[in-house]
Amino acid sequence: MDSTIAQKTWELENNILAVEAPDPSSDFIFYYDEVAQAMSLKAKPWANDPHFFKRVKISALALLKMVIHARSGGTIEVMGLMIGKTDGDAIIVMDAFALPVEGTETRVNAQADAYEYMVDYSQTNKQAGRLENVVGWYHSHPGYGCWLSGIDVSTQMLNQQFQEPFLAVVIDPTRTVSSGKVDIGAFRTYPEGYKPTDDPISEYQTIPLNKIEDFGVHCKQYYALNISYFKSSLDCHLLDLLWNKYWVNTLSSSPLLGNGDYVAGQLSDLAEKLEQAENHLTHSRIGPLGTSRKKVIKDILFNSVRQSK
Amino acid sequence: MASSSSSGLTFKLHPLVIVNISDHYTRVKSQLSLPPSLTSTSSAATSNNNNNNSNGGENNQNPPPRVYGCVIGVQRGRTVEIFNSFELIYDPSTRSLDRSFLEKKQELYKKVFPHFYVLGWYSTGSDAQESDMHFHKALMDINESPLYVLLNPAINPAQKDLPVTIYESELHVIDGVPQLIFVRSSYTIETVEAERISVDHVAHLKPSGGSAATQLAAQLTGIHSAIKMLNSRIRVLHQYLVGMQKGDIPCESSLLRQVSSLLRRLPAIESEKFQDDFLMEYNDTLLITYLAMFTNCSSTMNELVDKFNTTYDRHSRRGGRTAFI
Repeated sequence: MDSTIAQKTWELENNILAVEAPDPSSDFIFYYDEVAQAMSLKAKPWANDPHFFKRVKISALALLKMVIHARSGGTIEVMGLMIGKTDGDAIIVMDAFALPVEGTETRVNAQADAYEYMVDYSQTNKQAGRLENVVGWYHSHPGYGCWLSGIDVSTQMLNQQFQEPFLAVVIDPTRTVSSGKVDIGAFRTYPEGYKPTDDPISEYQTIPLNKIEDFGVHCKQYYALNISYFKSSLDCHLLDLLWNKYWVNTLSSSPLLGNGDYVAGQLSDLAEKLEQAENHLTHSRIGPLGTSRKKVIKDILFNSVRQSK
Repeated sequence: MASSSSSGLTFKLHPLVIVNISDHYTRVKSQLSLPPSLTSTSSAATSNNNNNNSNGGENNQNPPPRVYGCVIGVQRGRTVEIFNSFELIYDPSTRSLDRSFLEKKQELYKKVFPHFYVLGWYSTGSDAQESDMHFHKALMDINESPLYVLLNPAINPAQKDLPVTIYESELHVIDGVPQLIFVRSSYTIETVEAERISVDHVAHLKPSGGSAATQLAAQLTGIHSAIKMLNSRIRVLHQYLVGMQKGDIPCESSLLRQVSSLLRRLPAIESEKFQDDFLMEYNDTLLITYLAMFTNCSSTMNELVDKFNTTYDRHSRRGGRTAFI
């Protein structure tokens, strides 16, 4: 049939890894092996290698909860914790829950308030049969991209000293809704003074002017992990059936109407960047025409990340 | 159990609840039946699960475990919206519900979601049973008329409908004795935009973190499948109507009325105000696309000029051609 050929071509061109129909044995990821976990906690293979964890696997449930919580915060940053386990060089996130604190950018010790909640929640969870431990925290950056700010970096470094293994996840709910794709990033910081041997090329993302300095100063102190998702066979089945019901929502939602202000904000930010580039140019010395001037403009416009030592 | 409810409440169910219940069930099931690589060390691990019929090492030999939990949400007027859920500890043999646990969990969830309150409970299984009524009655002191959400975890590939049913309780007089029985209610699935996107994302496991091209492709595929769905449903309706006209299918007036009201609603948007607004939005979008194209163009031009200069620069030490032929 034509459509199958077209679909296969498209899948090939876009490197879509075919997800084999999950059989019940793939559900074993849900099994929590306490003995193996305790052993790996004792062995601590991550203590020697700052780049030990390379992958993150997030369950469907955790993703859903985190995105909904991030979106419900609107333009306020929200945060929560993630529960899961480790598996070799991968951290597996099974579930997430929200914390009743807001605004991590301004309150450095928001974590202290939330500890009581976290302890209560973990205890009740263990009673109800969820045996995993907390393996990380997530928070949202509404509208300004997935990266770690200065405060985030220091919080995460602290966490990685005392609560290993720990992971930081950032979600941008505004960009998610406007682009129709989940905007999420998982990070781990390097310990103080560690210089990464190879410089990974990170994917370019536009960051508003007022945040760009914060981004630039710290962007070398952490690295991003690959994120993949998993779901159980029952989840697969249910989600397939769910599609029968909510295709109406897909058609009826219009990203234009929902994100008018966000797009307008992005445009004005871009205009500001252009103006700044122009000013920068008039103040710099007038060197050979053409190349250097264009280079400066291009640099500021498209790669405005100023790196500190 | 009666077949339809008469309370007149409309129920809206969020996909998060469904995924929550499914996750709870999968967890409990996999803690029971160990992966084959660990059967040798099964004895230590089986003591960790809290279900009564523990019998590790063998898959699918025991009846699938039933999980219990609570659903929370909001009720506004006649609309009940179920947003979230959490697990509960219940012992079916002694029929005791762990109250302190429930209260603790309620407190925790109140802190994060201050607007939600307990609407009912959920469980897994294929059909509502008599014993469920005890749990139902136990919850009645928190909410006078709780809901019972039942998920059927059996995976049946031929199934077209979601195996989730919502039951309400009604007082019926049976054999002269007023009894509470479960009656089914219908529900719709309601999503917020963010929920829909993440459900879509996980349902089709699209490639994450792709370039703009893959993002666009993914979004267009989503819309394409939605339109395909719409098309197929309209076809079904069409065939049904043709069949009715020919006389193959007995005429059903209520259905005909619904179809005609749907059709009458179609040319709904022809007022002038709508046209104005629509054109304005359209112009805005075109303008922004134009701007984006402009920026792209200027960047490409810039690169072209750079390359030109590098190749044909007379003053550079690297040399190269001195004249552009």
